[in-house]
Amino acid sequence: MDTFIQQLINGLSLGSLYALIAVGYTVVYGILQLINFAHGEVFMIGAFGALTTSLVLFNGNTALWTLPIMILGAIIASVTTAVLMERFAYRPLRNAPRLAPLITAIGISVFLQELVRLNYNGIPQLNFNPFNLPDAKSIIPFPPIDVVTGPAIQVGGVTIQREAIFTIGALVVCSALLWWFINHTKTGHGMQAVSQDQDTARLMGINVDRIIVVAFALGAALAAVAGVCQGLQNHNINFRMGFLAGLKAFVAAVLGGIGNIAGAVVGGLVLGVVESMATQYIPGQFGGSPWKDVWAFTLLILVLVFRPQGLLGEKAVDRA
Amino acid sequence: MITFPPPVVAKHSPKALPIGLAGAGLVIVGSLFSWSYDPQVLGDLSIALNPGGLQIMAIALALLAVILLLAHKGPLAALGQWADTERGIHALADWTLIFMTLVVVGITAQAGGLINVEPGCWISFLGAVLLFLASRLVLAKKSRDLAEAVLPGWVEILVIVVIMAALLFGTAYALGIADAWVFVLFLVFVTGMAIAGTRAGLLSWLGHISLRRKRELILAAFAVAFCFPLTQGGSDANMSIASQVLVFAAAAMGLNIVVGLAGLLDLGYIAFLGSGAYVGATLSTSGFATIGWKPPFFVVVIVAACFTATLGLIIGAPTLRVSGDYLAIVTLGFGEIFRLTMFNLDGNNGPDLTHGPNGIPAIPDLTFGSFNFGDTHILLGIPIARFSNYYLLLLLLLAFIILVFHRLNTSRIGRGWVAIREDEKAAEAMGVNVFGLKLLAFATGAFLAGMAGAIKAHQDVSVTPDQYIFLESAFLLAAIVLGGMGTIVGVLVGAVILKLLPEKLRFFADYRLLLFGLLLVLMMRFRPEGIVASRRRQLEFHEEDEELAVRVEGDIAEEAQA
Repeated sequence: MDTFIQQLINGLSLGSLYALIAVGYTVVYGILQLINFAHGEVFMIGAFGALTTSLVLFNGNTALWTLPIMILGAIIASVTTAVLMERFAYRPLRNAPRLAPLITAIGISVFLQELVRLNYNGIPQLNFNPFNLPDAKSIIPFPPIDVVTGPAIQVGGVTIQREAIFTIGALVVCSALLWWFINHTKTGHGMQAVSQDQDTARLMGINVDRIIVVAFALGAALAAVAGVCQGLQNHNINFRMGFLAGLKAFVAAVLGGIGNIAGAVVGGLVLGVVESMATQYIPGQFGGSPWKDVWAFTLLILVLVFRPQGLLGEKAVDRA
Repeated sequence: MITFPPPVVAKHSPKALPIGLAGAGLVIVGSLFSWSYDPQVLGDLSIALNPGGLQIMAIALALLAVILLLAHKGPLAALGQWADTERGIHALADWTLIFMTLVVVGITAQAGGLINVEPGCWISFLGAVLLFLASRLVLAKKSRDLAEAVLPGWVEILVIVVIMAALLFGTAYALGIADAWVFVLFLVFVTGMAIAGTRAGLLSWLGHISLRRKRELILAAFAVAFCFPLTQGGSDANMSIASQVLVFAAAAMGLNIVVGLAGLLDLGYIAFLGSGAYVGATLSTSGFATIGWKPPFFVVVIVAACFTATLGLIIGAPTLRVSGDYLAIVTLGFGEIFRLTMFNLDGNNGPDLTHGPNGIPAIPDLTFGSFNFGDTHILLGIPIARFSNYYLLLLLLLAFIILVFHRLNTSRIGRGWVAIREDEKAAEAMGVNVFGLKLLAFATGAFLAGMAGAIKAHQDVSVTPDQYIFLESAFLLAAIVLGGMGTIVGVLVGAVILKLLPEKLRFFADYRLLLFGLLLVLMMRFRPEGIVASRRRQLEFHEEDEELAVRVEGDIAEEAQA
């Protein structure tokens, strides 16, 4: 029983991470029917934004009060990236055939990864590195934070990592804020309207372009929080972290029913739990952590085949 | 007898012609003098009256400008009535200026300082500026429909031969360039020429010729490709790159059936190439192969292709019912599953089939009877070494894949695919077997990739999981999109660009992926239909363009006649 609860908690903390990222996919998809493949990179840039804030402003200070400022730094980095990306890469392709934005997204994804890899520490060729940042070509350690990281907590036979509690807490807080934003603000109502019928929403006086930017920014903010969580959990970050996390989060979004925000959260949690349960309970050689990604993708294929609208999606989806 | 309407020539600034000619003349004269002191910089440009590669390129640009200027209003006006000389001159002048500016920048950067730029280069640069100014004075005029420009048959065939020879020479020259700056400038030169040609209507005239002379063109293209190893004088370094380009092109062409014809977005295609390679490796006589059965190679190729096609069917059957974006993600998931599985089957985490991350090394060279692909053979007095052998074999494979592509495209099946791509519901309503045809596209693509993979295993000597990452699938897709989806020439061009560029731009080694990403974004933004667009595709991206629609209809009519 202890093992089961242990794996459940591991799964939930992993799933919270997926859920935070998945919201970004789902919000944008709900409005534009666009898979923003570069969203994983937004998450990665969030993590780097937090690291930069910590290195530049606090220089080794690990006090708890620095954490909100780090998160703010992460959000600024992510949101800027996402908004620029929308403005200069996706907006000109608004009416293009579906393949075009997808290819663009792959391009942006490669571009952002390489940009961070090569130019995180300024322009090395010119010895231009005003903030003395480390080289991002390999893994960079992420600073620990008092209270949030540290020795794990033991409850009975179950070990609970502090970072796991923080991640799950972050998901709860973010979901609550998101729910409030969507249902109780004018912009949130606007987002709902645009996702239902873009043309009618425009006729009602909603600035659709602005709503789309808000959708990108919203997803980016949550991804930034996820980036900080990932950094705290793994104690390090690297420029490649966005690819697999982004892919898994997309699986989570599809699992929950893409376009449905609650679905993204549920999908993320389910995916996380399934992954850690698969690691624990699939017997023989095909269990264990080397195969967990395989099971995650298998789950994706099974869901798409048997329930293409996802767990919480509406019936009769036809995404041609 | 057709009566031609009188040529329409608009008013034209009288200053444009003399200024432009003077500019072009200065470019040529400047190119005959030395451009830099240092013979190490940008190839050797230091000897007067002995133009180096870049200087010859500048002269070629200037000569084309002279022809276009004279054709615009001058002695060659009879030629000019066919070509849109104004837009051609504009583009040519722009690119000549870019070319000369980059030359100055290149010399400055390589030799350390502007002081190293010799007067000859400045004369040419001044000429380029003059040409640029003159091009802004040239006025627009109407040109006649190029479909009417019919030359005697032997002239058209001569044109094809000349172009193919230029292609062969150009490729051999490009591969021989060691200096990255020179290579970039060569690209600028080719791009400038191509854009000026397109703008002036030259390329669309060639398009008409190629429609009329399809058979001769294809024959010439393959003759040139087969002759390519002979230009290398026995050196295998470039042939290694060339054979990699061919594997890439073969895979891209297979994917082109899936994406370009049937419109199914497959983001895990590299897994099919990979499974072909793994079958080829495990059935080879390598000491590390894990399966005891050692059939002859042509059996292995068939087994690999059939195995991969079966894999395609297994993936395709359940997932082809979900459409669009979902298919992209499922295939992407499949690609990852393949890679991870190959990574894990190392004996610890599963049965030992692939040796996990170490892969299967030491795959021996192919042998057909007494012909060993690893040995050097002499053909026409020129040694043909290992990679040249593989190059020729892969060329045959590519020809086969192109044949399959072409025959399918023009068959009932191909029409069905196009119908599905354009509107699945309508196709189904008209009685097209949508699911069956989609599955067929998927399986055919997988089959061809399996064949390519089996050869690739021998050519690469070893097979490891990290050769088949998602980025490779993205590269394949990018080759198709870049070149022109659903076309043969386009995808070949795209594959060559995407594989050759990184090899030659080792200078930018660190920055090439960055540039690749940027290139994809810019391409989608400014020319989403690809470099060589099929007209129908182009229309999809520019729906409001009435003129284009008329031209597409004209092309279809001409094709039907041929």
